[in-house]
Amino acid sequence: MTLSRRDFLKAAGLAIGGAFIATESAQAKPDPNEYAAMLYDATMCVGCNACTNACRQWNGTAPETDDRLLYDAPKELSSDTWTMIQLYQGENDTSFVKRQCMHCVDPACVSGCPVQALQKTAEGPVTYDQDRCIGCRYCMYTCPFHVPRFAWDTAQMPVIAKCTLCADRVQDGLPTACAERCPTSALIFGKRGDLIAEAEKRISENPARYVDHVYGKDDAGGTSVMYLAGVSFENLGLQDLGTKPIPEISEGTANIILPGVLLGAPLLLGMIRLTAKRGGWEDTWPL
Amino acid sequence: MAAITRSNKSNIPISFWPLMALTLLGVGLAIYRLVVGLGVSTNMSDHYPWGIWITIDLFLIPVAGAAFTISLLSYFLGREDYHSIIRPAVLAGFLGYGVVGVLLFLDIGRWTQFYNIFIPGFINLHSFLEEVSLCVTLYTAILILEVAPVFLEKWGYKAPIQWINRSIFVIAGAGVVLSMLHQSSLGSMFLLMPHKLHPLWWTPSLPLLFYLQAVYTGLSAVAIAVRLVWRAMGLPIDRMLFRRIGQAMSINLMLYAAIKVGDWMGAGEVPLLLRPDAFGLLAWFQFLIGIILPLGILLSKLVGHTSGPFWAGVFALIGTFIERLVVSWVGLAEPNPVSYIPSFTEIFITIGMIAGAFLLYGVVVRYFKLFPDPKQSHA
Repeated sequence: MTLSRRDFLKAAGLAIGGAFIATESAQAKPDPNEYAAMLYDATMCVGCNACTNACRQWNGTAPETDDRLLYDAPKELSSDTWTMIQLYQGENDTSFVKRQCMHCVDPACVSGCPVQALQKTAEGPVTYDQDRCIGCRYCMYTCPFHVPRFAWDTAQMPVIAKCTLCADRVQDGLPTACAERCPTSALIFGKRGDLIAEAEKRISENPARYVDHVYGKDDAGGTSVMYLAGVSFENLGLQDLGTKPIPEISEGTANIILPGVLLGAPLLLGMIRLTAKRGGWEDTWPL
Repeated sequence: MAAITRSNKSNIPISFWPLMALTLLGVGLAIYRLVVGLGVSTNMSDHYPWGIWITIDLFLIPVAGAAFTISLLSYFLGREDYHSIIRPAVLAGFLGYGVVGVLLFLDIGRWTQFYNIFIPGFINLHSFLEEVSLCVTLYTAILILEVAPVFLEKWGYKAPIQWINRSIFVIAGAGVVLSMLHQSSLGSMFLLMPHKLHPLWWTPSLPLLFYLQAVYTGLSAVAIAVRLVWRAMGLPIDRMLFRRIGQAMSINLMLYAAIKVGDWMGAGEVPLLLRPDAFGLLAWFQFLIGIILPLGILLSKLVGHTSGPFWAGVFALIGTFIERLVVSWVGLAEPNPVSYIPSFTEIFITIGMIAGAFLLYGVVVRYFKLFPDPKQSHA
């Protein structure tokens, strides 16, 4: 009786552990250089906010007007504003900076989402599925760029909102709405690999104009939205995040703990049984 | 039976009234929160997406882990002297997890589809939040089974008690495994935030630290509760038991301290400790008051008195609270200088749910047999 029960648990543990490892290896990652991507050159941006407007038109988000209802004037990203231009004004330098989801190659939000509401699609965009989302807001904490926003004012079924890299356009072969609208070509759309080459070419042709770094090429394991700038990225709110994918340590831990527990659990149960036998209170459990 | 006929069955004790009032207020506010949404009822924002509820959950889970630590010690290590406190600890654990469950339910924005966390096609095995959700749910179910005999024996159902008794080793074992898993996973949840959580608290050892902390915090809760409750009920306190609890606490505190110090040194974070800012002070306060002071008490002669583990427990709980507060709230970096102060609704829902748990505990203590008879001893 005891033996068969233990064997069953062991077999179940092995099966689940095996399935876990199998799904793990089955997910071959597409080549990040083939991902749909954007390059934003802050030195070419004139801060016209045409990108914000194009985003609103395509995605149907409401403008965030000021007191006089005259300007669409969002101060930061929100559940209604998925992209916008901010201005950095230093003592001797100044620069615009565009905000939107960075579409990480290895996104922390996707790794952390309990119900796979956030997913990395094969084309590159990180998308959101509100039918899965439970509204726990863990993604807002896991994102190193503070991107996902929550529709706080929605009483029932509030959503998480963020830029989708126009996944619905990209899959039809169209560029993102914001990149298509940009009048100065400060924002361009293309394959990630091509945009990295373009960015590096610009730096080498004009080293005085740029900080010698393509932000997003390797930062946080690489992102699909990349930046060129003439001022320090730190000043633009683009932190030094290292080059390792954010989920690395967390997923490494999960890959050890889960199969470990599934295989170790029957062992622990056996230990309890032994303790009970030794103590002679097998049949009179203290409950 | 004698207890019932003696006590005035229809009269509600005076101490229950304030608890009932707070619980009712909490329930009312909870309904209000579900109707109007999070934006209106709480002060959470895009800058503070988690508020006091998550902090309280992170603190209550190790405290309610008392049930798990007692099971661990008595079922795994065969410490029979713990048997007399299994029942009160398991009930406290169940009610603690009940509060956590209710607060989590109120906290998630899309609560009408909370069950998505159980749908196989949705489950993300990489997500420690998913792991915590599943383990906490399953563990609560196990606590129900463990606590059920208290009610079943009172109402005279013999067969289910026997069934539970026969499978208790699987039930208790699963409970211990699930607890080890989710207590550590609670720390693992923050592994995804290396750039947000303050470096004095972020470490790859978070799962191990949270696990050790859960063990000594659970024991602290037991030491405090047993001393207070046993005294109030006039039961004789088992000094040997307290010494054992104290020893188990000190082992876990020492391991925690060693890993914490090792991590600070290894990651070169000592300069951060010497910086005179709020985080440096909090780290020192947590380490000295929450780890070193209880260790000092437990390694002194005081461990032989009931007051030793009791006071060590009080300080250890303070330390745990600080860690959980920093990790879930004040230590999470936010570039904009926005502050968060919980709203009236958030505070009184929290108080109401905790009051409800105390109320239910009081009801069970009064009308069911939770504590051992002084006459018949287990060991």
